[in-house]
Order: sequence, then structure tokens, then C-alpha cells
Amino acid sequence: MLSRTVFLLCLPALHGFATPVQAQASKPIDFAHDIAPMLKARCAECHTNGKYKGSVSFDTREALLKSKVVTIGKSKDSEVYQRITNPDKDKRMPPKGEPLSAKEIALFKRWIDEGLPWDAGFTFKVTAYVAPLKPRQPALPPPRPGLEHPIDRIVDAYFQKHKVALPAPLDDTAFLRRVYLDVIGLLPAPRESESFFKEETPDKRARLVGKLLGERRAFADHWLSFWNDMLRNDYAGTGYIDGGRKQISAWLYGSIHDNKPYDQFVRELISPSAESEGFIKGIQWRGNVNASQVIELQFSQNVSQVFFGINLKCASCHDSFIDNWKLDDAYALAAIIADRPLEIHRCDKAMGKTATARFLWPELGSIDAQQPKAKRLEQFARLVSQPDNGRFTRTIANRLWQRFFGRGIVHPVDMMANKPWSEDLIDYLGVYLAEQKYDLAKLMEHILTSRAYQSKPAILEKEMPGEDYVFRGPELRRLSAEQFIDALWMIGHAGPPKAAAPIKLPEFEGSVPPERRFLRSSLVNADALMRSLGRPNREQVVTTRPDQLTTLQALDLANGQILDDTLARGAAYLLKTHDRSSDLLLIEEVYLSALCRRPSAEELATAQALLGSPRTASGMADLLWAVFMLPEFQLLR
Amino acid sequence: MHANVGDVSARSYSRRDFLRAMSAAAAATLPLGQPRVLRADEPLQHPRPTADTCILLWMAGGMASPETFDPKRYTPFEIGVPSERILCTFPSIDTVVDNIKISQGLENVARVLDRGTLIRSHVVPDLGNILHSRHQYHWHTGYVPPQTVACPHLGSWIAKVRGPNNPAIPPFINIGQRLEGVGESEELKAFTTGGFFGSEFGPFNLPFPTDAVASVRPPRGMTRERFETRQERFRELLRRSPFGELASDFHHESMLRAFENAHRLLSSRERAAFDLALEPRPVFDRYNTGRFGLGCLLARRLAEAGARFIEVTTEYVPFLHWDTHENGHTTVARMKQEIDRPIAQLILDLEQRGQLERTLVVLATEFSRDMMIEGVPGSNARDQSRARSDTMQQMIHYGLHRHFTGSGAVLLFGGGMKRGFLYGETAPERPLVVTRNPISIMNLHATILAAMGIAPRTAFEVERRPFYVTEDGRGQAVRELFA
Repeated sequence: MLSRTVFLLCLPALHGFATPVQAQASKPIDFAHDIAPMLKARCAECHTNGKYKGSVSFDTREALLKSKVVTIGKSKDSEVYQRITNPDKDKRMPPKGEPLSAKEIALFKRWIDEGLPWDAGFTFKVTAYVAPLKPRQPALPPPRPGLEHPIDRIVDAYFQKHKVALPAPLDDTAFLRRVYLDVIGLLPAPRESESFFKEETPDKRARLVGKLLGERRAFADHWLSFWNDMLRNDYAGTGYIDGGRKQISAWLYGSIHDNKPYDQFVRELISPSAESEGFIKGIQWRGNVNASQVIELQFSQNVSQVFFGINLKCASCHDSFIDNWKLDDAYALAAIIADRPLEIHRCDKAMGKTATARFLWPELGSIDAQQPKAKRLEQFARLVSQPDNGRFTRTIANRLWQRFFGRGIVHPVDMMANKPWSEDLIDYLGVYLAEQKYDLAKLMEHILTSRAYQSKPAILEKEMPGEDYVFRGPELRRLSAEQFIDALWMIGHAGPPKAAAPIKLPEFEGSVPPERRFLRSSLVNADALMRSLGRPNREQVVTTRPDQLTTLQALDLANGQILDDTLARGAAYLLKTHDRSSDLLLIEEVYLSALCRRPSAEELATAQALLGSPRTASGMADLLWAVFMLPEFQLLR
Repeated sequence: MHANVGDVSARSYSRRDFLRAMSAAAAATLPLGQPRVLRADEPLQHPRPTADTCILLWMAGGMASPETFDPKRYTPFEIGVPSERILCTFPSIDTVVDNIKISQGLENVARVLDRGTLIRSHVVPDLGNILHSRHQYHWHTGYVPPQTVACPHLGSWIAKVRGPNNPAIPPFINIGQRLEGVGESEELKAFTTGGFFGSEFGPFNLPFPTDAVASVRPPRGMTRERFETRQERFRELLRRSPFGELASDFHHESMLRAFENAHRLLSSRERAAFDLALEPRPVFDRYNTGRFGLGCLLARRLAEAGARFIEVTTEYVPFLHWDTHENGHTTVARMKQEIDRPIAQLILDLEQRGQLERTLVVLATEFSRDMMIEGVPGSNARDQSRARSDTMQQMIHYGLHRHFTGSGAVLLFGGGMKRGFLYGETAPERPLVVTRNPISIMNLHATILAAMGIAPRTAFEVERRPFYVTEDGRGQAVRELFA
């Protein structure tokens, strides 16, 4: 799988020396580009993947060496070389078709003589799993008491099968904090927390989920970042300088706010109006661009990654070595948006072929390449979201699950061809979304009301990358840059007055308490602190943020001026608004706001020491800092 | 994978089957974007390093090599002189190396040239219409944007692969470039980053050398005592936090580790290295030609304290400094004053401290300049000169106002490079293209990396694809440059 990829590979047109002299570099054998395609075309049928004629296997380098037909460094002594050059038709390899060309033989020889280079991890063996395309409604396992929710029926059966103990239910405090941050990206105001804790109705959690999903302004403020990352939308960034990029902020915000059905949402991005065309227009830097990075191929890469969890970055330059997508597939998608005939380039070299508009899965329907661009995009948009395309709903359902649990059912989220830890679950969620007429809020509500979501986190001593991953419950998650900063701004009343996003912001719903009515960080340009905490440059599609804090980030939190100024503003505000409250009340307010709980007596003593006696502005700032630095604050448990 | 589609396409089954096979194996298990070092069948052989520290002196905005390190026939300013007769606007001067002459105004560097190698044949690609930050992106990452993954800065590669010289000092320090409030700042940010390595390996940015100390001190207005007390109380709150059961989780643990690392830097003795006020006055004054000069001094201190990669830039601001779209002669005369003394002093100081042997100092720029040619001969790039005139009428016309990619100068001092050595050659007349030993960004990077003990084939797996430190792993160090 580790091919030299790429897209980045060969840029001859750009790199041709502009001088009379050419740099002479003797290029070493490149397994992925020189050898693998030849092996796959001429040797693989009989000598890989379970079929090892003559006991010769080309599956891996080790297998080939074990077959004893290659002597490293000595092509002349290697049986395989003798076979491919054998003039006797009956002994020559390959037995079918033309013999290898002189050029291929020369490459083969060099490959052996140069030590049989092989890209790490690469194998010709077939992966056992094939991700289905069609939607599938799984049969739900029978419910057990307390586990009636369809998600829980599936997850419970999974737990039983994998002998995983049911994780303990989440307490009210953790649930409250988790669900607020997940749905609207904010902490609850202290009075909201208290009234929730007091409430004793059995359906109070479900009602809270409904209430938060109904707060459309706060919801949109929060989910804007998720979509901005994914759709490469920002208010400042590369490309805007030359008009090589266009914002979709107003359209995007409105669509999130109005809970536009997901199929329609995607159709409007792909077959856009002037307000939503920024996504498919891509990002253009001034000057010439490598063939694999022209706007048409950006379209092809981004559409396939965002909506289908497919990586076409390899296939934009040559047939992919990591999955079965091909150069033609990437170009066929690109041709949908091309204004003129799009010539296929392999590694930046023209192939003399023109791409024909086609969707990745031709069995879902075709695109009439003769139609003008706007029509082609319209047809494409319909194909993307048509009901038989199960990948479409699975991909977004998986992204939401990943957001709420820290890890996708299919992992990683941009490799939807990987095996899910539960096929039933991902299939169920995909079908559920389609049944709910692509209502993302409904899907979120469904997940958030499950016992699975309302479980204690699984403690992981290290990252679980392997295929042998077993789901044991939600993971701890780090607050995003925006969640962290919004919490600071909310508690300290310290946010900025003006948005950078050109969006006409709707009113807050009447039920929103005053603490939560402020301008959120998702709506302003990234500053050094936000960038440090992980808000990305939106140059590339970003679907997940880094989940661990680094030293340089910690440094910004320890002594960064932006944070310090924010804390000072917050401290001044709290002192002013609490000038009549006791220290106890003030500290309780901080704990309730930040951690959704009251401090213990011990914590109170430390907090009091921080605050100073009598309290000072710097003590107040230091108390805020210390609470904000606690993993309990910075992690979602 | 679309292998479930049934055989509707024209491809034969075996081929399809085969392609599916190609995807097997080490099916990716890390989230996209999380790099993993590639393990080859045979472990990657890193070359033996000849340097442990690298200082990059970045002449931002396009330093004209005919005006600096590759002087040509000199034509003084005179009203009416045809522009096309002008190759450079300064006379040349002798250097301490017999066969090397450089441009007037660089007398101090001329005296230390026997400590280094001068390359006159650096060739960068012509990317069509010039956007400085795009060429800078290419030079700093080895890749031309746009790219499908976030490319790490050269300094991040070196920080990642070699690690810190001293754990108390951030391995990659970037001095002199503001990232806010300057033109093309978004484009600058795009490459001033750890890219897919994440912020751990990103630059520690110090735009103003005299303020550097603030970045390792408690926040403004906070005494050290208060700072330490705050930390102590924080630890106490942490101990008293009721969530002990979460402490073994790696998210939790790595967060606390990061805090402790940061606190260590803020409390370490090494933080004094950031404080230029501790430098004896005469030394400070010798470097102080402005921000760049003081940046060189800061670089010297940080190199000594254990930084791994330090960039000091003259700062890129569109149309300022080396970015001469008009009045080039006058501007370049000033730029030379700014860089000449501190660069020479840096070399001498490193030498005197016995550090030059193991410190590679590189001076480079994104491209050169020419009086007549934009890009390369025959390029159709837009002419961006702001002082167009067929003949010299005013001083504003006098200078190299067009971006030229056909040749450029690079200096390499110390770090295992030859001394008093001249590499490459350019034509004596326009076009001033390379006539001998062209060296590309890829191979120059390979050379720098080899000196730092990093194989140009070093790669990390990102989104299941290998991403190489030099494009496609093809960079080759120029052995001739090594002593």
C-alpha cells in the first residue's frame, strides 16, 4: 500500500530547469511506479492472493524471497529473470500474452540488482472486507430492559458477542456537560445546570436533547466550524488574495440554522447557486498548477472525500495503489465540472486521452457528458444523493458518530471502505437518516438519546489504532479550539463585539439565558490562540482535529498573551458582577459554570487561596486559569 | 471500494480482483492526517550528520544575486542609459577567497567567505505569474502549493526527525516574520506550520527579537512568584479533582505531560537564551542593524542553548525590503547594510565558540531578480515592475525590478561544507541563466538534510500515502559541497 504516491510526484513541467543545462540525476528504481504496475499486470494473476502457481508468491517481498526465485543483487542468477528472458516459449514467463518488453525486462533486472526495493507494508493479498454500496436495514436484535433503543439493541448484541461489559451509565453532571458541548458547543449556564439536576422526570434527558437541538442559533454557531473545516470555508485564508476563492458562509450558516435536509444541502453544494458555489470552485493560487491540483481535480478529491469518505488524492495522479480507484475515476469526476475537454494527465504528463464525465459508481446511473456543465452538475447532484447510494448516508452518519463518541464506527472517517466495528450499526444509522428524510437533527437526536451515548467513557491507556479495535464506550475527547474559547468568553463575558463572517445572524431563541447570548469564536477570524488550539488553516479538507495537546499549545496556555488578556477581562467582569457575593458563592459560580458542579471542601480551600484574601483581580484571573487548565475542563468525559 | 458493484465495467475480472488486492495489507488504522513513520523492509539509512544545528538566513522577497553574491558587469546610473544594458547596479569587490568577487556593500561577508561555500547556480521553477509567498511555500516545504495535505516546513521535518538538541528549547524557532497585519499573511501561514506533524513540530514564532524573552516569561505583569504559586495551586486542584479514574487515559495523561513540558521551558535556565538584554552592549550593538541583525544575535544564543533549526528572516512584506519593484538600487544598498555585519559576526561568533563545525548556516531566497526578464526567458508571466522605462531617467528606474528564476545565489557556512568554495556558474550576459552545476530546491534540501543527518528518502505515512521529505524521495545531496 505504500506507494510513492502521487500527486506530488513528478512535476516535470514546473521543474524543468530554465537553464541550458539539465540536472542529471540517475533515478533509483521506484517500486510503486516502476515495478508494482508491471507485476500486477503480468504476474499477479497466477502468483498472488492465494494462487501461487509453481509455489511462487509475489504477495510480499518476504513471500517472493521465500519462493527462492530471486537472488538479491544478482539478476542473472535469479530464476525469475531467467524465466522472463527465456527464448523458449514454453518456459518463458508470463506464459500468456506477449513476452515482457525490453524496457520491462530492463526494469526487472535493475529491480533485482538494486536489492529488490519494495514499499513497506505493500502486499498483493486481497483484503477480506468489501464495503457495500447499497443501503441495508439490519434486523434488530431483541430488546433487553433499559436497552430498548434500536441503537442500544445493536450495541448490546455487539457487547455480548465481544464479551464487553455494558459501560456504566453517565451521571447527570457529565451528561449535561457532554450534551451541551456536543449539540451547541457551549457550557450550560449555572442556572440551567441547577434546574436540570433538580428535575426528576424520567424523560428529562430526552427533553434536554430536544431543547438544545431546537436552539437553532447556538446550534448553527457550533456546527459552522465542523462544516467550515470540511468545506474549506473561511473568512480569510489563502486564495482570497487574487479572487481565487469564494466564501459560502452565509449560505452555509443559513442551511445549518434551518436544518436543511442533508440530501438537499449536498445537492446545493454540488449544483450550486451563486451563494453556495465556493465549495466546488476550490482554491486557486496565482500561477501555474500541477495537473493533479487543478480546480477540476480539487473538485473530484473534495467531493469524494467529504461525501463518501473516499481518498482520490492518489488516483488524481495515477491509478491508486492503496485502493482500487483509478486515474480514470478521478478524471471522470473532474470532467463533470470541467468547462472544456479535460485531458487526462498521469503524473503531470498528458496521456492524449480526454476524460468523460462519470460518477464513481456507474450502476447508480449515468451523467450525460454531452450536456452543458450546469446540467451535468445537476445530474451528478442527483446521483450523489439518490436513495440507492448507501455510502452517502453512512458517511455522514459515521462522521456524526465520530463527533459524539470520539471515534467512528468506520475508522478513520475518511476511509469508508474500511470495515466498521459494527456493520449493523452503521447500516442502521444510514437507513434511519434516509427514513427521516435526511434530517440531521433527527439523526443526532436518535444517537444522543441512546444509552450508548449516555455511557461513561471507556478509559484508553493508549491510542487504539488496530483493526482489532473493540468498541467499549465513548472516548474522552478534547474540547475544540472554539469550544474552549467560547467557554472562556461566556464565563468571563470576554468575547469580541464583531463577527468577521459575512452572515446576517438570526436572533437567539427566547429561552436562551443571557450568559449564552454572545458572539461565538466560530464567527471571527482565527487568532494565534485559536490556531494553536487546533483551528486549522482551511487550505485542505479537515474532518477531524488533533485530539491531543502539544507542548507548544500548552505554552500558549501557560503564558500566551491572548489567553492572559482574556482572563484579565473575565476576572474584571466577574469581580464586578459579584462584588456583593461571598467568596464561596463566587467560587461556586466558577465551578458550576466551568465544570457543571460545585467544588469539594478541599477544592474550595485551594480556590480560596488562589482568589486571595481579600480577593484581587490577579487572584481571580489565576483561579480562572487554574480551573480552565484542569483536564476535567478541557476534556469531554 | 467499489468492488461490490458487479462487473458492469469493461475491466476484466482478474484485473479488478487484482486492484482490490493492492489495497489490502496494512489497512490504515490511524486517522487521516496522523503521520506514521514508514518502515522500509530495510531500515532507512540516515547519513552521518555533519551538523547538529541549522540556521537559515532567509532573504525574503527575492534577493537579486547580481546585486549581491554573483556580480556582473557594472553599469553606473546615468540618465539615458538603456535599461537592457544594465546587469547590476553595484561594482564588485574582492573577497578573502581569490577567485570569488561579490557585490559592494558586503565587505564584512567578503571577509568570512573562506568559512563557507558560495553557490551561484540555484535554480527554482518558474510557476507562471509570480506570487512570492507561493515560491516561499515551495522553498520552505519542498512542495508547490496547492497540495492535498498540509506540508510541513523544512524546520518541522528536521525537528521531527532529529528531535530537540535540548528538550528545554523548542526545536524549531522562527525569527522575524510577522504573521498578522502583513500582506499575503494567510499564504505565509500556510507554510509556517508543522503541517501534518501537528503543532508539536511547528515553529515557535518570535517576530520581534527584542520581545523574544516575553515568550518564555510569565505573562506580562505577572511576577515569577505569582506564576509559580499559580502553578502550585493548579497542581493541588488537580490532585483534589474527583476524576482520578480518568487519569490513566492517554488523552488525560498527554495533556498533563504537555503542561509540565511547557512549565519546564518557562522555568528552565535556558530561557535566558531568549533575552537579548543579557548580551554585552558592544556585542548587541555590533549585531544591531535592525530586526534582522538582532535576529542573528538571537539565533546565535538559541543555537548555543540547543535549538535544532532556526530561521531568521529579513521579513517578507509585499513591496518592501528585498521585494524591489522600483528604486531597487537604493533599497538593496540599505538591505546590504542590514545583513552584512550581522551575518559576518554570526559566522565569526559561531567559529570562536567552536560551534561552526557543527552548525550549518544557510542563506537563501525564493528567487533572484533581473532588470528585464520576468520569470525566465520566454515566460509569459505578468510584468510586475512598477518602474518601467526603456532608459534610465530617474533613480527610481535603477534596480532589478523583475522576478528572475533562472539562477540564484545560496551561501552555506560550516556544518561540514567546503570552505572558500565556489559552486556553479551563470552566463556573463543576459539571460543570466546557470551554465554549470544547476541545483534545484529538491537537491539543495537534500544537501541540507544530509548535513543534518536525514536521508532525503525519509517519509511518513499520511492518509496511507508516503510523504517524503524531498519530493517523491528523489532528492540527492550534492556531495561536492561537503568538505
